[in-house]
Formats: sequence, C-alpha cells, structure tokens
Amino acid sequence: MKSAYITVVGSMPVKFDLSQARKLGPIIGSSNNNKSVIFDFATVNTELNLQDMLNTEVFQQTNILTPENLYKKYLFFDQLSALPNFPGLKSFDIEQEKCSPQTLSLLLSVYLQKKVIFLLGYDISNPTELTRLKSIILANPDIKFMYICNPPRTYQLDDMPNGYCDTYIKFQELIDREK
Amino acid sequence: MKNNIVYKYSLKLRWPATCRNRSVEILKERPDLIDTMNNFRSKIDNILKIVCRKSFQVDGAHSMTGVRLWFQSGQDAYEFIIRQPEFDWEIVPEISVINNITSQLQTYNIVYTPTGVVID
Repeated sequence: MKSAYITVVGSMPVKFDLSQARKLGPIIGSSNNNKSVIFDFATVNTELNLQDMLNTEVFQQTNILTPENLYKKYLFFDQLSALPNFPGLKSFDIEQEKCSPQTLSLLLSVYLQKKVIFLLGYDISNPTELTRLKSIILANPDIKFMYICNPPRTYQLDDMPNGYCDTYIKFQELIDREK
Repeated sequence: MKNNIVYKYSLKLRWPATCRNRSVEILKERPDLIDTMNNFRSKIDNILKIVCRKSFQVDGAHSMTGVRLWFQSGQDAYEFIIRQPEFDWEIVPEISVINNITSQLQTYNIVYTPTGVVID
C-alpha cells in the first residue's frame, strides 16, 4: 500500500532507531551523514561525499539523487539518478548544487507528494536553513511538516499553520500505533 | 509477485553501412539486406551474452538507423561502449537513462576522449 508518510533525516546525528521509521514509509537520507540504516533515497551534491556513498555498502540499495552536473560524471552507477527539477527553486533562492543536502532531501520529500513529512535530525540552528524550511512549508499548505526533536521542543515552527513539532517519544508512539 | 527487471540504460547500435536508411519497399525487394540485419541482431545478442553480467534486451522494433539495446546495469552499458573497437561496430553517441524518480527517459551525449568516455 502506498504510504502517506515520509521521513527526512537531516544532517544532524539522530539518536533513534531509524529502522523503526521505515515502518511508516520511505526514508530520505542527507548525504553520507548517517550510515546506520539503509535509506530508500539519499541526496548528495558534493563529489567527495558521492564517491564515499557509492563505495559504502549501506548505500548500495539506496536510490542516490544528485544534481545533473554531478550525475553526468557518475551516470553508469545503477543506484544513481538525477534530481528532478523542483518547482519554485528560484523563488526559494535555492541552487541544487550549492544548498545543503538536507534541503535537497526536503525538496525531494515534497516532490514525492506525501501527506506528512517527518523531519529527524534536521538542522535549523542555521538561519538560512530555517528560512528555507519555513518557505517550503508555506509553499506546501497541503502537506504536514512534523519536526521531531528531543525535549525541550522548539517553538521555531509554531508560526507555521502546517508546521508542527514533537518529541521522539511521540514519534515512536505513532509508529507503534501504525504497525 | 513477479520481480520485474528494469532496463535503465539504452544505447543504439548502427546497422552495417549497407543496411542503413533503407525504406520498407527496398527491404522487401532485398532479402540479402534482411539476412544481414538478422545476422547482425544475432551477433549482437551473442556478444551481449559475453559482455553483460546482468540482464539485457535487444529491442525488436525496427529503426532505420540501428538496433536499440537495453541494459539493466550501467556497468554493462559502459563495458559495451568501451569494447566497441573490439567488435568493430558503431554506437550512436547517445545514452538514454530512465530516471528512477520521474520515470522519464533522459538522453545524454557520449563524448569519446583519448582517456575514455565522458557524458555531456
């Protein structure tokens, strides 16, 4: 059955069993930051990290997505695909080649049209990252963005009508309910 | 459920010079050309069996320029391209790849350099 959920793992370390998150739906990894689980998708936009991922066992089953300029150099690797042209990138002032991999993962999750996007280990301490996250949340009012963190919860997304924040405990409870 | 093979990579191999750009009418009148084309197809099939580690397919649809080949693995497609001089045939310098996310067939140019093959 097609899942309504998708999980984006950002660039921060995550102290949570990510294989649990798979029970809810696909997981997107951001570059080679996390090698603890087999991701369904992973995004990367630097050559060094891409080479590392292509040579890492855990990414052999992962659909790795990269900007087209980098994709052309490694086209003959089966697990690699070019990132699609995300709508509205210019208005967000985002360049696929220069933004963070977690932003690419977020854009991919939106592109895959799931109803709820869980953000784990997503770095919002950087103001640019937070602004981009908020812009993407605002541009997609039909999607719920659930930022998962350790207590105390952040209030950074409280001004977003479709942006929520919850703890890993609540996230685990949701996984258990959905089993 | 049946495990379907996805042929992600596609190349086109030109027909032998005598068979290119032939209309259907000419082909009907020239069984020798049809024989050459059929022999060419079986030769390709035999060589692909040697070169490829994963699945491949020789497209049955007729094209005036050549035969379309489908590869499950990019590594096989690369091997086929670089061993071109060994078999003395000519690949159309384009590679088509199915994007796993968009399911679109994207085509890139193959550029031959003294040190190998690059994609543009």
